[in-house]
Amino acid sequence: MKARSALLAACAVFLVALVLPAFISGYGIRILNLALISAIAVIGLNFAFGYAGLITLAQAGFVGCGAYITAILSTTLGLSPWLSIPAAVVGTGFIAVVIGLPMLRLKGHYLALATLGFNVSFVIVTTNWKSVMGGTDGISGIPALALPGWAFATDHRYYYVIWVVLAVATWCAWRIRNSHIGLAMIAVRDDEIATGAASVGVTRIKLQAFALAAVYAGLSGALFAHMANFVAPDDFNLGHSIIYLAMLIIGGEGSILGSIAGAVIVTFMPELMRDLGIAYMIVFGALMLLILIFLPKGLLSLTAIVGRQLKASGR
Amino acid sequence: MRRTLWSSRLQQFVQLIVSGLAVGSVYALVGLAFIMVNEATGVVNFATGQMVAIGCFLAVSTSLQMGLPLAPAYALALVAMALFGMVFYAVVFRPLQDRPVVTVIIGTVMIGIVIQNAALMTWGSVPFRPRSPFGRQVIDVFGAALSAHALFVIVVAFLMIGLLYLFIYRTAIGARMRAVAQDRDAARLMGIGVDRMFVLTWIIAGLLTGAAGILVGPMWFADVNMGDPIALKAFAAIIIGGFSSVPGAIVGGILVGLAEMLGAAYISSAYKDGLVFLVMILFLLVRPQGIFGERIGQRA
Repeated sequence: MKARSALLAACAVFLVALVLPAFISGYGIRILNLALISAIAVIGLNFAFGYAGLITLAQAGFVGCGAYITAILSTTLGLSPWLSIPAAVVGTGFIAVVIGLPMLRLKGHYLALATLGFNVSFVIVTTNWKSVMGGTDGISGIPALALPGWAFATDHRYYYVIWVVLAVATWCAWRIRNSHIGLAMIAVRDDEIATGAASVGVTRIKLQAFALAAVYAGLSGALFAHMANFVAPDDFNLGHSIIYLAMLIIGGEGSILGSIAGAVIVTFMPELMRDLGIAYMIVFGALMLLILIFLPKGLLSLTAIVGRQLKASGR
Repeated sequence: MRRTLWSSRLQQFVQLIVSGLAVGSVYALVGLAFIMVNEATGVVNFATGQMVAIGCFLAVSTSLQMGLPLAPAYALALVAMALFGMVFYAVVFRPLQDRPVVTVIIGTVMIGIVIQNAALMTWGSVPFRPRSPFGRQVIDVFGAALSAHALFVIVVAFLMIGLLYLFIYRTAIGARMRAVAQDRDAARLMGIGVDRMFVLTWIIAGLLTGAAGILVGPMWFADVNMGDPIALKAFAAIIIGGFSSVPGAIVGGILVGLAEMLGAAYISSAYKDGLVFLVMILFLLVRPQGIFGERIGQRA
């Protein structure tokens, strides 16, 4: 019953999103594209944090891995984006497994600090390894996705690429959530010792959640690279990792639709508050804090609260 | 010829050691502020770096903008930082204190963003160059030109750490603070005003970060973005030293400061921060309890 209404809501959202670009002008569609690309990374983060309860501050680093892998493959090595994007996704997942194997023995804020160290190191390496990563100038001239005779070079065209990828990513996430893997992740979050005692491999489950988060991040980063045609270290710093976590918390951790909603809301917030100018970040931070304090289950929990109120008044 | 080359290398080495110790003792102060708060109140404060920046800029305001002599300027800035700690207690700690650790992490990160941008609006984006009580004076020790300010930083930091130690381990209030850190509920049952101890902890955190900011200002520039890099090094310091250990924070801070200075000079200035984080991650993996800590790396 609840699953069906969530499915209906998801279908409705995606159908509305299908016709949305017809009503949005050039700059708005760029922001929308960024929001949906972020949503993919946030859905991934939801595996690690929302389901498995791993506090990771490395999501922007993984987005960066995806973006840089596809950037290097498609410029320096001249690979087609259709091949370099999957390679970026697989490569990012591989990196996550390699660093996750030792790191996931840590818990709580120890894991947070270790992943933070990874994200900071990623920025240091991309900034300083000029011959391969381009330094602070980054890598430019990344080709757009193209079919024979048709390039997804404008934001309006690229929007539909992102739409399809996000729809597939959402569907996959939903399937994983309802599979034994998703259930095991949630079990690990709720009671790690009991889950281990029930002979579920806790470390393996955590590694799966961590790697899934990175795979989604890699996909998000690769899509970003081929939209912006340019990558630089600043887009993947620690601040962005925190923004991804904020998106997840604002939307509602443990919810796929919440992940998407959080990504869209947080991406559009600066545009809505543009008049505030420099004070925007102060309002943004304070708003996040208020949501954390008063709506710990995210903005999506508002709909449940309103629904209950309506039911109560209907009686 | 050979002799002079060696002696100039030795002089450079001594200078690097002194500046490493100076930067390291700043990290130690910041790490101590972090540990004090975490031990007493259970809050992992990711806005610690921004508190350092505020301390630095308050001293800029009192000394450069209001034109006070340095001693009263520093005192005024420290008083303001104590008040800042109390405000932090009321506005951030109280609403977040019983929330899950991730809520606290994100919450303090958000407060850090608010503080940093409020500082940007107040002081602008152009860095200040705070002056040192010793100006650019250098002291000649066996031919090595040592910065007087760096020596001043080392002395003041260790004086503060000594005072803090005496306060915590030799006074009745310190004993109460330790009781609260050990078992909050039992302390409350013993008639200790737990909330008052929390306020005191945040005041101490304000003073420690404030002092760190005042001391670091003349070594670097006063920049509104200075908080995060300092906090990251302080994190690394307490991981290396041991997360809940006071001597650990001091030794960890010194090690990070030395690694930063020596690494920049002898290995690679571009990768000096990477080096620090590499060591931090190695410690997390191989010895998560740090040099001094108990085995708490697994503690959730």
